[in-house]
Amino acid sequence: MSTIKLSIDGQEVEVEQGATVFQAAREAGISIPTICDHKDLSPYGACRMCVVEIEGVRGFPTSCTTPATQGMQVSTRTKRLTDLRNCTLELLFSGHPNSCFACPHREPCETHRPQATKAGRSTRCGFCANREECDLREMVLTSERQELKLPVMYSAYKLERDDPFMDRDYNLCVLCGRCWRICEKIHGEPAISIINRGKWSKISTAFDKSHLESGCNFCGACIDICPTGTLMDRYARWQGKPEHESVSACILCPNGCSVKAENKGGKLLAYTMPGFEAEDRLCALGRFGAAQIVNSTKRLTRPLVREDGDQIPMSWDDALQSVGKGLIARRGTVVVVISATTTREERFIYDRLATALQGHLIVLPFEADCETPKIKELSDSVQQGKVQALITNGPLVSPQILKNVEFSLVIDCLESMASQLATIVLPSAILSEVDGTFKTSSGKIRTLSKSSILPGGARPEWMIICLIAKVLGLNGFDFDRAETITSLIQDDPAPEKFEREPRNNCRDIPIRFRGHLVADFVPGLKAFELPTTLVDEAEDEICNGFALLEKKEIAPNMHLLIIEAPQVARFALPGQFVILMAKETSERSPFTLADWDANAGTISLIIEEVGRSSRELTSLTAGDQLAHVSGPLGLPLSIQEKGTIFLGGGCYGIGAIFPLARILHEAGNRVICMIEAASSHLLYWQQELAEVCDELLIATKDGSGGMHGGIQEGVSSVTEKEHINQCIIIGCTFMMQQVSDLTKTFDIPTLVALNPIMVDGTGMCGACRVSIANQTQFACVDGPFFDGHKVDWEELTLRRNAYAPQEIQALPQGIHLTSCLPTSTLKMGD
Amino acid sequence: MSEILPMSLLPSLLAAYDRERENLIPLLQKMQESFHCLSPETVKAVADHLHLSENDVYGVATFYSQIRFIPPGRHHIRVCDGTACHVRGSDRILEAVEKSTGVQPGQTSEDGSFSVERVACFGSCALAPVMVVDDKVFGRMTGTATRKLIEGKE
Repeated sequence: MSTIKLSIDGQEVEVEQGATVFQAAREAGISIPTICDHKDLSPYGACRMCVVEIEGVRGFPTSCTTPATQGMQVSTRTKRLTDLRNCTLELLFSGHPNSCFACPHREPCETHRPQATKAGRSTRCGFCANREECDLREMVLTSERQELKLPVMYSAYKLERDDPFMDRDYNLCVLCGRCWRICEKIHGEPAISIINRGKWSKISTAFDKSHLESGCNFCGACIDICPTGTLMDRYARWQGKPEHESVSACILCPNGCSVKAENKGGKLLAYTMPGFEAEDRLCALGRFGAAQIVNSTKRLTRPLVREDGDQIPMSWDDALQSVGKGLIARRGTVVVVISATTTREERFIYDRLATALQGHLIVLPFEADCETPKIKELSDSVQQGKVQALITNGPLVSPQILKNVEFSLVIDCLESMASQLATIVLPSAILSEVDGTFKTSSGKIRTLSKSSILPGGARPEWMIICLIAKVLGLNGFDFDRAETITSLIQDDPAPEKFEREPRNNCRDIPIRFRGHLVADFVPGLKAFELPTTLVDEAEDEICNGFALLEKKEIAPNMHLLIIEAPQVARFALPGQFVILMAKETSERSPFTLADWDANAGTISLIIEEVGRSSRELTSLTAGDQLAHVSGPLGLPLSIQEKGTIFLGGGCYGIGAIFPLARILHEAGNRVICMIEAASSHLLYWQQELAEVCDELLIATKDGSGGMHGGIQEGVSSVTEKEHINQCIIIGCTFMMQQVSDLTKTFDIPTLVALNPIMVDGTGMCGACRVSIANQTQFACVDGPFFDGHKVDWEELTLRRNAYAPQEIQALPQGIHLTSCLPTSTLKMGD
Repeated sequence: MSEILPMSLLPSLLAAYDRERENLIPLLQKMQESFHCLSPETVKAVADHLHLSENDVYGVATFYSQIRFIPPGRHHIRVCDGTACHVRGSDRILEAVEKSTGVQPGQTSEDGSFSVERVACFGSCALAPVMVVDDKVFGRMTGTATRKLIEGKE
């Protein structure tokens, strides 16, 4: 092919005919900023960040759509271009939450919160799961000018959670079109498109159908190519940026697709496509299910040995000794049953063990259940006493066989009926924890490379078999790596072809993996009507407890709940809190009372969606019942006439300071209320607060309403004008700490309402322990109010983050919790 | 406006068009002309006929304000908001229309008597501000004239 020469920023560049200016620059190592361009997509010219100047060409063409021509003189970084790009970036950001860039507290806040808060909607970088990987954020932080002058037009779209694997927050979308373009490239007919026009343009489906109805096959390519946090893998969403990527293969079905295993801290986050080509596509099970299977809470992690009827956890050495005893006595009557979705090395070594024990190996087709002829035959042999011992790597045989054999060894990664009935259970490695090779049904050999850390005591199957052989004193099992087995394998058969193609139709996903129902470990698969033994949470017993009378999302992620709880309303005092449980199975979580009405018998709470429990509560709708409301709890605020009292509230604290303002004002104090939010559209209750205080001040982190900054700036400005006798601060730990540090320098007595992890709320468990002036106190019975100048903030922060990984793991993966909210309750940013 | 055709004619209407993407907009217009507005059924039929995704077809259809998804009223009112009309106060005309009919642009009144549409330009800029009621152009409109015109239609 002929080439052409052009000059970019004075550098001579030679490219193939037909390349664009952008491609030419990229090949020459000259970087031009872009959002919508992607090397695996055709040029689109949507974002207009890649504008350049070309001698003899009028205006500023987009380099991604301009073909390079012979002798072209291109400039990519003139002053005019920088100004234009800054302007474009500002326009892009006017529709994308950006308050964190304008926030004077961004750096300390991000140090305090190394991981983003797992909110419902991402209303700012600090609440965005994509924070570490966001192309937009990167552009602002690396540009010289971080000031964004245009007002934010928050679209107030609801968070879309109505499909099994994705969380979609179109409030973050900048319409680069990468998602529908990759969808079209991979699947031909895209499952999404840009609908509407102008300000109301949006990525969506025809008639806003669910992705389950729009032709989506859940390959996840759109998520992987999205430069913003708009499209997220629900399971991986809050786990952070992958630290390690390696090419491997998925053996959940005999297709054995190539995958990119993304890991963080040795934990598999997802299998993603190794490239953005049609042949690289994955099925929903591989893309979204693999990580849920590998990280399942139902993993087997310890050897179990049956003694006197019960399975007892044992050390590997003891368990192997028991295996040895069990097998040696039954030599000649041993059968090994494995699934076709086992690596070649493991199949080889299982076969060698079967032969050494004068038994035989049965390899079952990958999706087979206990009804296959081979298993029926086995059942007869067991009945006749010809088979006395069984080794299997999954629930592949019927319970009857397991009950009838004298000795059964289950080497498996997941709990099952088989592991429960087995004489001995040995925990094994799976998918991203395994090294080896796999022959696909089309005969290709794919390599699996271990990238994740094995849970607990789990070991790879080939190693387990070698250890068993050693105990039995068998020769020919001296392998220290899977690789050393590979060269011995000759003419191994390819697994039977999988007749369906789950990559082209998500309803064709395999039902089983090694005898396990995949939907038991990947709850989202229920959406495709895959069989499961899981009980639908929505079908849990209906609670008969406390009626939810009203529920409204009064600002994004911030929900007002009015609950019928006459006993609480009758005895509540300002500053007290309640502990709620949405369902009988929910965790207990504390929430400050924002208001109550003893006559009506109701209480009002402001709940911010930041995790599982708050999500369960905010997913309820008026007319539902809460399982439990306990309270009022905690010591009320002592009400005295002190003079001027400054009440500061952020996030849920805006609601929490309301009853304090009312009573302190009634007690004769001059009450100054100050509320803060990242941006003005996240504020609420301004009117309500203004009516119960002497002065209402507002601060926003982006300056879109009131003072630019937070409560800190408010305290400073008030002290310039008048003396504050007392500060009371309610909000996130970071804000309370910052304000306390500041008021200490002004010598203003400061109370903070602490929010540690709490369980019972009555002083029994000690989970809410806090250190106040080196004394241990319990926030539930000694608090929630403490002297902010005496709190050990570092300890509090550490204790609050103690269960961060578990909190992420606990987030629901099903689709029954939908966040439906009427857009009429939402305010626009203007 | 012509009579609504029965849906049973859909296949024969489609058959008149080659299965080329370039026929998308003519087909959408044909669907609207025949059935007065688009529906999930017609979008799917057009998509299948042209081998396109329904989502694509819907994306194109929602881009153009001339394409409707709600049946028009007995009287279809189009208010121009093009540059000339805009500077001559089309917002007051639209406000008068909304007040007298109780219908927002893009909607049809519950009793089916009026539908309102905001249009970018009619090409009658010399008569700005302009509105078109049932294909008849009314120029140099005022709020009062608009109210009178609509009252006469009720």
